[in-house]
Amino acid sequence: MNTILVAAAVQDGRLKRSTFEVMARAREVAAETGSEVVAAVLHPTARDLAPDLMRHGAVRVYVVEDPVFDRHVNVPVIDALERVVKAALPRLVVAPSTEAFKDVMGALAVRLGAGALPDVSEFGVDGDSVVAVRPVMAAKMLARVSSREPLVLVSVRSGSYEASASPVEGEIVPVDFSCDAGTLRQTLREVLSSGDGEVDLSEARVVVAAGRGIRDEAGRDLVLELADATGAAIGASRAVVETGLFPATAQIGQTGKVVAPDLYFAVGISGAIQHVAGMVNSRVIVAINKDPDAPIFDYATYGIVGDAFKVLPPLIEALRDAGKT
Amino acid sequence: MEEPFDCIIVGGGIAGLSAAMTLARGGARFLLIERGEFCGAKNVSGGVLWGTDLQRLVPGYADDPDAGFERFVNHRRLTFLDDDSAFSVDFKSTRFDEKPYGGVTVLRAVFDAWLAGKVQQAIDESPYPDESFLATDVLVEEVLMEDGRAVGIRAGDEEFRANCVLLAEGVNNLLTRQVGLENPFVDADHVAVGVKEVLRMDVDRLADRFQLCGRSGLTNEFVGAATKGVEGGGFLYTNRDSLSVGLVIGMKDLREKGGTPYDLLNHFKAHPAIRDMIQGAETVEYSAHVVSTGDIRGLPKELYGDGVLIAGEAAHLLMNAGKAIQGMDYAMRSGMLAAETVLEARKAGDFSSAMMSNYRKALDASYIMHDMRSFQDAVHLLHSEPMFSNVPNVLCDFGRQFFAVRSEPTPKALSMMHAAVKRHASYWDLVKLGIKAARAL
Amino acid sequence: MKFCVCIKQVPDVAAHVQTGRMVLNAYDASAVEAALQLTEAHGGTVHLVLAGPDAAKETIRKALAMGADEATHLVTASDMDSYAVSSLLAEHFEDGDYDVILTGKQSQDTDAGLAGSMLAEHLGRVYATNAVGLAVEGENTLLVTRQGDAGQEIIALPTPCLVTCSNDMNDPRIPSLKGIMASKKKPLNVQAVTPGPGRSELHDTQAPPERKPGIRIDGEPAEQASHLVHLLQDEAGVL
Ligand SMILES: Cc1cc2nc3c(=O)[nH]c(=O)nc-3n(C[C@H](O)[C@H](O)[C@H](O)COP(=O)(O)OP(=O)(O)OC[C@H]3O[C@@H](n4cnc5c(N)ncnc54)[C@H](O)[C@@H]3O)c2cc1C
Ligand SMILES: Cc1cc2nc3c(=O)[nH]c(=O)nc-3n(C[C@H](O)[C@H](O)[C@H](O)COP(=O)(O)OP(=O)(O)OC[C@H]3O[C@@H](n4cnc5c(N)ncnc54)[C@H](O)[C@@H]3O)c2cc1C
Ligand SMILES: Nc1ncnc2c1ncn2[C@@H]1O[C@H](COP(=O)(O)O)[C@@H](O)[C@H]1O
Repeated sequence: MNTILVAAAVQDGRLKRSTFEVMARAREVAAETGSEVVAAVLHPTARDLAPDLMRHGAVRVYVVEDPVFDRHVNVPVIDALERVVKAALPRLVVAPSTEAFKDVMGALAVRLGAGALPDVSEFGVDGDSVVAVRPVMAAKMLARVSSREPLVLVSVRSGSYEASASPVEGEIVPVDFSCDAGTLRQTLREVLSSGDGEVDLSEARVVVAAGRGIRDEAGRDLVLELADATGAAIGASRAVVETGLFPATAQIGQTGKVVAPDLYFAVGISGAIQHVAGMVNSRVIVAINKDPDAPIFDYATYGIVGDAFKVLPPLIEALRDAGKT
Repeated sequence: MEEPFDCIIVGGGIAGLSAAMTLARGGARFLLIERGEFCGAKNVSGGVLWGTDLQRLVPGYADDPDAGFERFVNHRRLTFLDDDSAFSVDFKSTRFDEKPYGGVTVLRAVFDAWLAGKVQQAIDESPYPDESFLATDVLVEEVLMEDGRAVGIRAGDEEFRANCVLLAEGVNNLLTRQVGLENPFVDADHVAVGVKEVLRMDVDRLADRFQLCGRSGLTNEFVGAATKGVEGGGFLYTNRDSLSVGLVIGMKDLREKGGTPYDLLNHFKAHPAIRDMIQGAETVEYSAHVVSTGDIRGLPKELYGDGVLIAGEAAHLLMNAGKAIQGMDYAMRSGMLAAETVLEARKAGDFSSAMMSNYRKALDASYIMHDMRSFQDAVHLLHSEPMFSNVPNVLCDFGRQFFAVRSEPTPKALSMMHAAVKRHASYWDLVKLGIKAARAL
Repeated sequence: MKFCVCIKQVPDVAAHVQTGRMVLNAYDASAVEAALQLTEAHGGTVHLVLAGPDAAKETIRKALAMGADEATHLVTASDMDSYAVSSLLAEHFEDGDYDVILTGKQSQDTDAGLAGSMLAEHLGRVYATNAVGLAVEGENTLLVTRQGDAGQEIIALPTPCLVTCSNDMNDPRIPSLKGIMASKKKPLNVQAVTPGPGRSELHDTQAPPERKPGIRIDGEPAEQASHLVHLLQDEAGVL
């Protein structure tokens, strides 16, 4: 039987929702191809996360436990995943397209002699090929790609599939692995966590994103309030990140993160192609911009031409009222 | 110190690139400086390059599938508009399919960049492949003068010297003014504003809608209701998979009558005749640019000086007498002629104003000055009020009667014309206009 | 330190009308800028390598004009996926003694983001991806600040190493006239190459399905706000 291995994404000791999105699609592909879905977790206490993966359909969960996985360092991740793959012998390795996975995907593909289809929005298996669709040209075009290699790595954009539970009685498979951090050639000196966003961008159903139109602290406060009123995660354009008002982890776009929430507020964002690349697949897009010709309105479901500083206060109030009823 | 260049060309538009090509072929050492990120980045034309000089500049271009033009023109139309009707003079001929083409549509961002590539190729094949340069993303801020003679340029904190400087900076000719060849303030009478949109359309739909075949194209000029009574005219040109649609509007009249060019363009696009042509096309680009009116009185005091030459629209060389705007072909020819003078000067080792005056002589002898002189009246006529109000109104009124079939006794065409004229103008005015037109064209 | 930056020529993705114009990958421009800044501060040289068609020499010239010292042009007209590129580059690096190899974090046209770490693995080099800051520490250590999922990570890499660069690292310089002139006299080593096979195929590209045209909400801010909330609740059902 063929195997589809899902490499779980863990953040702050939790599995990211995008892991379950990938699991949901992996189950479909497994059903179509008569395969089974297994998962891998790398974490100091990976075992604790296994039940959640079984709840989403993993019949076996390969757990690699080592303190080194507390923080992301690429070499041990590659080594560990190599071991898991050698144990599970999958046809396909699928993972959420996080910075952590992007960091190792190319090296891992070379190490394993595998094909690699990065940052896809759709994937499947067609005969002897793994097929996928991926946005290219700053998401202006969709490319159909495939790989015929016996092993293929795929990373999936968050929001591409709907997460859903499908509990199975799974089995935990511990993988023998240990890493002496002292022997690593590179050293992680420091992690500067931005810790600002209460809600993780890639998990959020609602995203409030600020652009250069949010020019000062007062504007940022309004944006934070809007996010609070809607339970949203906070995003930002590159231009406003450069001003230092928002952390780089909030950057959405070609260089930053790709998100596809149900509701996206673009506040004071012009809609440059490189920004749009990161949010165009949001279901409902609200644009607030004082320039009626701003390109963001070409993508907006609802467009408000106006000064954000004037529009946001009544909007926040109206949203709070709506939330009460 | 490094040896000075034979020539520094300011501006990588059509005039500058045509000069550069001529210099490269003539074996000169030169530096062309363009402020845009690449040649053509910000340049705006409606988009027909008329005439056959391109064939001289890039021989055989018409047979190159990758050549940077959009379509060759074999179908021309001039349309008079009132609010709800359009009266056209339409001409199509397979003779226009023959090479060299007499006109090609272009998108400047594509065309200029392509031409720059051809110039680079010419440099690579010249005796000085490593000593002539096309430099982009650099703004020339000053022409360096010594004893009334241009000796080089300054860009930021970099200075470069040359035996002469060729100004091909386009209509916003700040350096031409700096060297004293033009007054600091240009009369609003001598400039117009051009606005333009590029609308993308599926190639097959485009070909079907405009009856195009292969790479053939249509040009359509408009007068009348196009501009809401403001002096000017409209155009629609077919590109490979897009349309260029725009207006050229008199600056002075616009100021007096109010409105923004953008509003006028939207008004134009909403006219039923235009609307039906552009339906289903998506706007992908909007741009606005100043353009000369082609008034010969707008020319700089002189087109050369000690060590300096002015070519293209920097010298206000342009013709707009109704049937076409000719700015690019004038830019091309004047750039080539200026470069030929530089080559002569190089040979003689003399870059004095006496030598540079050969450029003026060549220009005077060319079709450019010939046409600019002989069609001045037409230029003025085109910019006169009746041309964009009475005339189109009369024609459309006549058209509505002449082409209507009403199951009633039909008057003779002449009396229809008579009635139309009566409604919109005085006979005498129109006769005067007609006589003027006959003389002007 | 001796740097080599891998640069790629890509179509101008920001152009509204397809102009066919090719440009230096923005991420690679940042990598070149980073290498120049470090060598200007600490000494060393900056080499470039590009695999691509003959016409890509324009892009090499541009990077040389920024200030790099010399370049290698691996001439091939073949389309390559990231794997094919990384294998070709790995061969090129077999006989180079570069302390640091820099690549862009991804190609602007394909957004693949693989070639850098693939190359590192081929060469057995330590590497870091998505760098937003680079500093030299002592004789043979590079301090990389990389943008991770939840924050920035500062990693010390011993040379020889490889780093993939984000454009958030710096603003690449625009070549000066002197730089442009000097670039033509810099050594450009041209080699014809035949890339090996890739490990993926590109079948076609098409425009994504169009979004439904949106609604403009007019009025005073308070009206706009209540209208929007109403639409979000009742029409879109996202609240
Ligand atoms: C290779 C590359 C990668 C890139 N990656 C990214 C990326 O990942 N993410 C990203 O965002 N950008 C990215 N960019 C940058 C991108 O091109 C734009 O520069 C950036 O997105 C602009 O941000 P902005 O819309 O906030 O700023 P601007 O373009 O300056 O727009 C500000 C907007 O705010 C409006 N405004 C001003 N005041 C108000 C007010 N009071 N009320 C309402 N509206 C107001 C203005 O009308 C304007 O439309 C990238 C660029 C390159 C070259
Ligand atoms: C809307 C519109 C429609 C038109 N339609 C037509 C048409 O259909 N047919 C036609 O033949 N003509 C048309 N024209 C006119 C035509 O565009 C111009 O006459 C022609 O472009 C002039 O060419 P040029 O090379 O002299 O100047 P430009 O094309 O303007 O080039 C000047 C160049 O110099 C550069 N430059 C300027 N200053 C500096 C500096 N200080 N340092 C460095 N670089 C500098 C500019 O960036 C530019 O690239 C139209 C114009 C407009 C605005
Ligand atoms: N043809 C090429 N020549 C040189 N370097 C390349 C080439 N293609 C990709 N690269 C390098 O690999 C990076 C991008 O990798 P990828 O996104 O996988 O295509 C680029 O930023 C370059 O540094």
